[in-house]
This record gives sequence, C-alpha cells and structure tokens, in this order.
Amino acid sequence: MSDTLHKKSFFRKYLFSTDHKVIGMQYTITGLFMAAVGGFLAYVFRYNLAYPGDHIPLFGELGAQQYNSFVTCHGMIMVFWVAMPILLAGFGNFLIPTMIGTDDMAFPILNMMSFWIFLLSTIVLLASFFVPGGAFGGGWTMYPPLSAGGYTNPNPDFFKAFFSGASLMILAVALEFVAMLMGGINFLVTTINKRTKGMTPFRIPLVVWFINIATIIFMFSVGPLVAGAVMLLFDITVGTGFYDPARGGDPVLFQHLFWFFGHPEVYVLLLPAVGAIGEILSVFSRKPLFAYKTIIYLALLSAILSVVVWAHHQFVAGIDPRMATFFSVGTIIISIPFAGIFLSYMATLWGGSIRFTVPMMWALGFIGTFLVGGLTGLFLGSNAFDIYAHDTYFVVAHFHYTLFPVVFFGFFAAFYFWFPKFVGKNLNPALGKIHFWCTTVFFNGTFFLLFFNGLGGQHRRINDFSLFSNVVKEPYITFEKIATISAICLILSQFIFLYNFVTSAVRGKKAVKNPWDANTIEWVADSPPPHGNFNPYPEVFRGPYDYSLPGEESDFIPQNVPHTNENIPVLKVKLSVS
Amino acid sequence: MKIFPENVSTYGQEIDNLFWMTFGFVMVAFVISLFVLFYPLVKNHHSKVKKATYFTGESKKHFRWITIALVILAMSDFIILFAEHDTWERIENIPTGNDLHVGITGRQWNWIFTYPGPDGKINTADDVVIDEQNSELHIPVNKNVIFELRAKEVLHSLFIVNTRLKQDCIPGRMNTRWVNITKEGTYDISCAEICGVMHSKMRNFLVVESQEKFDQYVKTLYEKNAPATSSSNNR
Amino acid sequence: MNLIQQRLSVPVIKVPQGRLGMWILIAGELVIFGGLIACYLLSRLRYPEWAEQAAHTSTFFGALNTVVLLTSSFTIVKAHEAALKKELTKVTIYMSATIIGGLAFLVNKSIEYTNEIHHGFTFSSPQLQESGNYVGSLFWSFYYLMTGLHATHVVIGMIIMTVILIQARKGKNLHRVELAGIYWHMVDLIWIFLFPLLYIAK
Repeated sequence: MSDTLHKKSFFRKYLFSTDHKVIGMQYTITGLFMAAVGGFLAYVFRYNLAYPGDHIPLFGELGAQQYNSFVTCHGMIMVFWVAMPILLAGFGNFLIPTMIGTDDMAFPILNMMSFWIFLLSTIVLLASFFVPGGAFGGGWTMYPPLSAGGYTNPNPDFFKAFFSGASLMILAVALEFVAMLMGGINFLVTTINKRTKGMTPFRIPLVVWFINIATIIFMFSVGPLVAGAVMLLFDITVGTGFYDPARGGDPVLFQHLFWFFGHPEVYVLLLPAVGAIGEILSVFSRKPLFAYKTIIYLALLSAILSVVVWAHHQFVAGIDPRMATFFSVGTIIISIPFAGIFLSYMATLWGGSIRFTVPMMWALGFIGTFLVGGLTGLFLGSNAFDIYAHDTYFVVAHFHYTLFPVVFFGFFAAFYFWFPKFVGKNLNPALGKIHFWCTTVFFNGTFFLLFFNGLGGQHRRINDFSLFSNVVKEPYITFEKIATISAICLILSQFIFLYNFVTSAVRGKKAVKNPWDANTIEWVADSPPPHGNFNPYPEVFRGPYDYSLPGEESDFIPQNVPHTNENIPVLKVKLSVS
Repeated sequence: MKIFPENVSTYGQEIDNLFWMTFGFVMVAFVISLFVLFYPLVKNHHSKVKKATYFTGESKKHFRWITIALVILAMSDFIILFAEHDTWERIENIPTGNDLHVGITGRQWNWIFTYPGPDGKINTADDVVIDEQNSELHIPVNKNVIFELRAKEVLHSLFIVNTRLKQDCIPGRMNTRWVNITKEGTYDISCAEICGVMHSKMRNFLVVESQEKFDQYVKTLYEKNAPATSSSNNR
Repeated sequence: MNLIQQRLSVPVIKVPQGRLGMWILIAGELVIFGGLIACYLLSRLRYPEWAEQAAHTSTFFGALNTVVLLTSSFTIVKAHEAALKKELTKVTIYMSATIIGGLAFLVNKSIEYTNEIHHGFTFSSPQLQESGNYVGSLFWSFYYLMTGLHATHVVIGMIIMTVILIQARKGKNLHRVELAGIYWHMVDLIWIFLFPLLYIAK
C-alpha cells in the first residue's frame, strides 16, 4: 500500500477525510452529540410534565411556546439527526465496505460531501433555536397550516419568513435528506459493485442486506416529501398557497406526503438495527442465523408493504372510511413478516451455546423491549381503537417502545460488538453490563406507565394538564412523576457509556483481530482496519454463518476459509433438533 | 384502578371491548414469545451446552414452527380486523334520521359552537354561535347528535375522552361525526392536535342534559340572540 | 502494493460504477418529480376550472423548448458515440452543442417567464388572489415550481457538462461523457412529462 495515504495532516485525516471509517465516525459522533441535545430537551419537558410550572434545574422556567418547540425538536432531532446518521449512515459507512471486503465506498468524495451537507443541516437546525420566535413548535410532523403560520400573511417578507423556526427546520430536514440520498447512492453502488471475490449475494451478511433494503425504502419514499417540503417552504417564505385551504390548497395533501415518507422511515431505521442484532445473535449463539435467506425475503416483503400503510397515521383526519379500512388491513398485515423475522431470531437461540457478552445482552434486550412496541402496534393498527388512542400517550409510549430499542439498543449492541474492531481497543465489560441494566430498567420505567396514561385519555403535546379533569388525578400524576424520574436516571446512566467509551478509547487494552470468534470478513482485517482495510483482499468461500459446523474442530469458520472435502455437504448433515 | 375513564356514549363500550380483545391476543403472544426467548437462554447457556447444534433453518421442515406461528398470528390479525370493522363502520356511518345537528369549529384557542336557529336548520342565517373561552355545548341525553366539524385557521382535533370520540377538524373541509350520550353530566372537550401556543388551554365543556332542560337552554339562547335574528329576517 | 492493484474487488454485476451511481441518482430524482406531478394531478382533478388557467401558457414556447431539448439529447448521444471512438474534436463539438441547447432552453424559458410575469402570473400571483381566482394562483404556483425545479436541473446539467467537456477535450475521463448523457436524458424525460401536463392539457 502506498505510504502517502498514511501520511496526511490532521485535517486531511480526521476532518476532510474520504475514508469511510472516518466518515462513519464523524456521523456517529455527530449523532451522539445530537442525542445529547435531544436528551436534554426531553429532560426539560419531562420535568415540566411532572412538576408543571416549577423551576427546572439547569434550565429555568419553561413557557408554553418553548414547551412546544422542545417537544417538536426532540422528535425531529431523535429521528433525523440521531437515528438516521447513526443507524443508516454510521452503520452503512462502517459496515458495508468492511463486510463485503473492499477498501472504501464507491464514491469517496461524494461520501465526504454527504457528511458535510449533513453537518450543515445540523447547524441550520441548531441555529433555528436562536432566531426570533424560537425553534419551530408545531409538532415534528410539521403539518400546515400551523407550520405556515396559519396563512395569516399571504405576502410575507422573505427574509423575515425565511429566518423563522419553521422554515429553517424544513430547510434543515431537506438538507439532511440530500445528505442521506448521497450516502444512499454510495451504499447501493458499493454493495452492488465492489464486493470482493466470491461474495455472492447470499454470502453477504444480513446487516449489509438490511442497510441496503433500508436505503432503497428511503430513496423510494423520500422523493414526494422533498417535493412537499419545498412546497411548504415556499408557502412560508414567498406566500404561495399549496396547502392553504382558503386559496384552493389542501392541508391534508401534506399529511399524505409526510406519512408516505414518515412511515417507511420507521422501517429505514428499524432494518439496520435489526440486521446488526441478527449478526450478534448468531455470533453469541455459536449457531447459523436461523433461516437467513427467508429473513431477507421477509424483509423485502415488509419493505414493499411499508409503503402501503402510511395513512394509518390519519385515521381520524377525515380520510375516506374505505381507504382507512385498506390501510388498517395493510398495517396489521405488516406485523406478519416482522413477526417472522423476530421469531427466526428467537429460533437462532434454540440449540445454541449462548454467551452472555455485553453485545448479546443488548441484542436480547432489544428483542424483549421491541416485542412490547411491536405488539402494542396491533392495538393502534385497528382503526376503530385508533379513534380513541390517536394522539394520546398510548401512541407516545408505543413509538418510544419501538424507536428507543431500535435506535439505542440497536446502536449500543453494535457499538459494544464492533468497538474492538474499529477502534482497536477493548471496552470494559463490567461497565457495559451496568450500562445495559440501568438503561433497560429506566427505559421501561419511563415509558411503560405512559401506556396507562394514554388509555386514561391523556393527549399529547400539552404542557399543562391542569384543565383536564380526566387526567389530573391519581394515579396518572404519580405515573408522570415516575416517568420523569426514570427519564432523568436514564439520561444519567448514559454517562457510564460515555466514561467507558472515552477511557477505553484512550487507554483500553489493545484488541485482537477477532475477539468474538466471528465469521464475517471485517474480523479478518486488522483492528483497527488501516486505510484500505484489507491487505491482501480476502476471497470469500462460504456464507457468513458457518458456526458449529458438524465435523469441524473450531466452532467458527471465517468466510475466507476455503471448503475442505468434509464440510461441503452441509445440508445433508443429519440434524438432531428439528 | 380503572384502565379507561368512564364511558358515556353508545359506541364507547365497543372501543373498550376491542381493546380488551386485542389485549387478550397480545398477552398470549407476549407470554409465548417471552418463553421462546428466555427458555434457550437458561437451557443453552454455554456452560451447559458446549457446542451448538448446527441447523440453518432454510428447509421447510425447520421453518414449520415459524410458519405455524405466523398463520396463527395472521388469523388473530383478521379476527381483530373483522371485530374492529363493525365498530369502525358504526362510528363512521352518520345516522340519517332527523337528528340534531350542531356545528363545532376549532379556532385558536377555543371551540366555537353553532346551534341551529329557530328554523331548526343549521348553516342558515339564524344560527346561534357561541364563541368564548370555557363555553358549554349543551346536548340532549340519549339522542343522536351530529357534529359538523370545521376549523378556522389551523388543524384541530375534537376529543371527548368519555365518549371515545376523536376527529380532526381541517380548515376548508367539513367532517361529520355523531354521538349518542347515555348519561347526563359535564365532560371535557379538548383538542388533540397541536394548534399553537395555547393548545393546552383549549378546553370547553360538553353538558349533557335531559331533553326538557335542553329545550329550555336553547330557548334562552334564542331570546338572547333575538336582535340578531330579527335583523337577519329583515334583510 | 500500489493503488491499482488494491482495486482487486471484483464487480459481480458488470456495470461501471459511475453509470450505476447515475442510474440510482436518477431513480431518486424521478420520485421527487413523481411526487410533485402527483400533487399537481390531484389538484387538477379537484378543480374543473384549472384548464382556464392552463390556457394562458404558451404552447409555442413549450413546443419549441421540447424540440430544443430533444435535439440537445441527440447531440449528447453523438458526443458519447464520438467519445467511444476517442474522437476528441467531435466530442467537443457535440458537447458544446448540447450546452448551447441547454442555454437556448433557458433563454426561451426566461422569455416565457417574462411574458407571464407581465400578465400578472407570478409564483404567488397576488393579482389573481385579489380577484379571488385562487385556483389560478395555485396553478401558477405549481407551474413555476415544476418548471423552476426542472430549469434548476438544466442548469446543474450544464455545469456538469462544462466540467466534463474541459476534461474530455484533453482526452481525460472520457467515460464521463456518457454519464452526462444519462443525466441529460433524465432532464429531457422529465420535460416530456411536464410539457403535456402544463402546456398541452388545456
């Protein structure tokens, strides 16, 4: 390898790098920083919900407008500036080139630009907190007419309207989409075109498959919202009336455009995390992933179904009742492929030899908590019950039970799993386990009781419930307090992670090449992989999950080990568990 | 502790029952899944099982347990769908009889109530409009009442917890919903769709009373509104 | 081991990387325009009086632009053909012709915009709004948004082609001529959808 690649200045190496690992790191760290911002916002408004009107430590008084802004930005940040960069861009950048055995992305410069546009979008979003009027406070769904100021001014002053919370947020989201689209082009081309020798489609590890499926869903569904967001931006800044009912527009159109993207977005976030969990379960059960090919087909099926369920967010928006029935059926049917994927994951554990390492605990925690989120989705999928549950804390608890496991359990599982590989140092497992248990306990403490609040009729985005006699009574007030205290503990327990991260990265023990005895080829590279990852490129001879192959001494055979005569007739082996 | 607040509408109980039915399916699925998840964790810990059993699960024979589970899931899905479809139809289909129509319009930040004027028809010149904070909407008990839902400037969502009714109000459109309340009393009307700064202060009351009291109430409304009515008649 | 040897990874599908990336980019672009066109059609179907406003657009300029764009697509194909044969002068001539075609398109477009603005049809059309013709103002909003977004793509395409032309003249990166061609065809294709929607269906 040419030495010039190694001798670069600090700026070229860490800031304007085109290396996929550095870009992945940049995405992940930006995402974690934004998670801290989003977490702080959550702390502030959760505190306000438990103790309305009180002085909030580290913040002060929270007004109604600020409350709305904080709730809105919390949602926005967590979905678009935490989940997307970490799960899609972070995982994609780290894992795709190393797992398919190549040196870098197909278009490294595009990859770098993607990050810089993303960073710009982050800055625009953060800037929106400081414009007159504060950050946008109309819900993360940005429904017009509220986001367009109620169309009170058909001839807005462009600059004044442009530097408002709403339009800066839309601009930030649009920039973020552009960044992710650029990343997405890279992921797809890299996976299709740059695989190492012998890496046939069904030898690609599951997580790479899932990141690519997620990218396809993202690229397919985001277009209409980009168009819709541009229309909304013009409504705000130059006074067009695309969504203004008084001028022939239709506010419900934006809801359709938003949720046409918004619902598939859930699967965009879900799939990379689920893929990583699959890898981890297989490694620590010392067993092949159960029904690897079938899982891929199920994921493709759910990807297709995911674009025909969006209107379940609008059951009470006055859409055609027959249409609602159609979407209700779609919503409930999409539970089937996902149940298939999760049951296959559980089947992977059966007959295994299970090791409770830190990543494995996160993976199992993911399945356990996501189960609650997935099953409560069945309630909301039926449109009649949704009439009552829509926009209540039942919905809030439901989507936190799906997205929190996806974003944080999924990320932490992957983090503890791949940290030795990409940083080259070992993490402290004891701290990792404490972090896991604290997070799990306090996460459930935060959100489980909110299901009851929701069923009691507590509706969302209210900073002060004092007017509503149905919810200002026991036990709901106590539940709010428990939720808030748990949320604070949940945020505090992330400092364990931070401490572990920093100390391990600085003075942790040097990691070996393959600490978990895993098969996929990123473990063949050095830890951390040098620029160019592999030297020489590995050739792949087998699927990614040849664990505990009968007749083999070692219970794992990496993908770059050629077949010997004994273990070729894999499928003919007599099975004791069936 | 009661899970749901008191139900006072004719269809509210169906929604509650729908919840409990789904809850039954979900609990069964949840318990089975937890068993399937935790059993191997205890039994197949690496201290007990040194070497895992190799099976890929690609054959139909291996996949059959999952197929069975998915078929059962699909069946329960469809039971839920059929059950909820009836309820959905009942709530969505507005009664066509000669019922009382009341207009409810969301504005920033209270609900505006519109009663039909002395001619008994809504959306005519002699309608009585009440537009103030904390105002009350009076409706008769045990009667079908049809709400005509509109919004002034931004989206709102009519939410009456005790009737289980929720419906978005969209500027430029009219959505209709109906309700038949079986118990006299005063209930909160809140807004469930974020509508601006004072979203959490958007609360009015629904007063359900006997037909006689309601008639009396409407009569006083007409009297209070009389000058406006006469002027509109002169026009 | 040098960099060239490093790129040992074997593409399984034999599509050059740039072309594959361009196709995926186009797929992404098409859904953006698809969403916009869907919004336009939904609004159009809602209002029967839509056609009255569409009657104000100039079919002549639209048709002229269609011809210009189609011709420029032809020249970029010829440029690609020349690039395959490594005939650098022909590449330069044909690519310049394509860029001039794009320029002609933009000139036409701006004449057309000027005419329409003189008639009071602007992005938000305050004149129409004052007279209560809200459907009209909505039509013109859509018109400017769709054609404007398309014109932005024309401009981007011209910039890309200029950059590629400067390299291709010296015989560098000749394969990129094809990528410019694919992109230009997409711009053309989108116009083929916009032209009947905005200019013909009246």
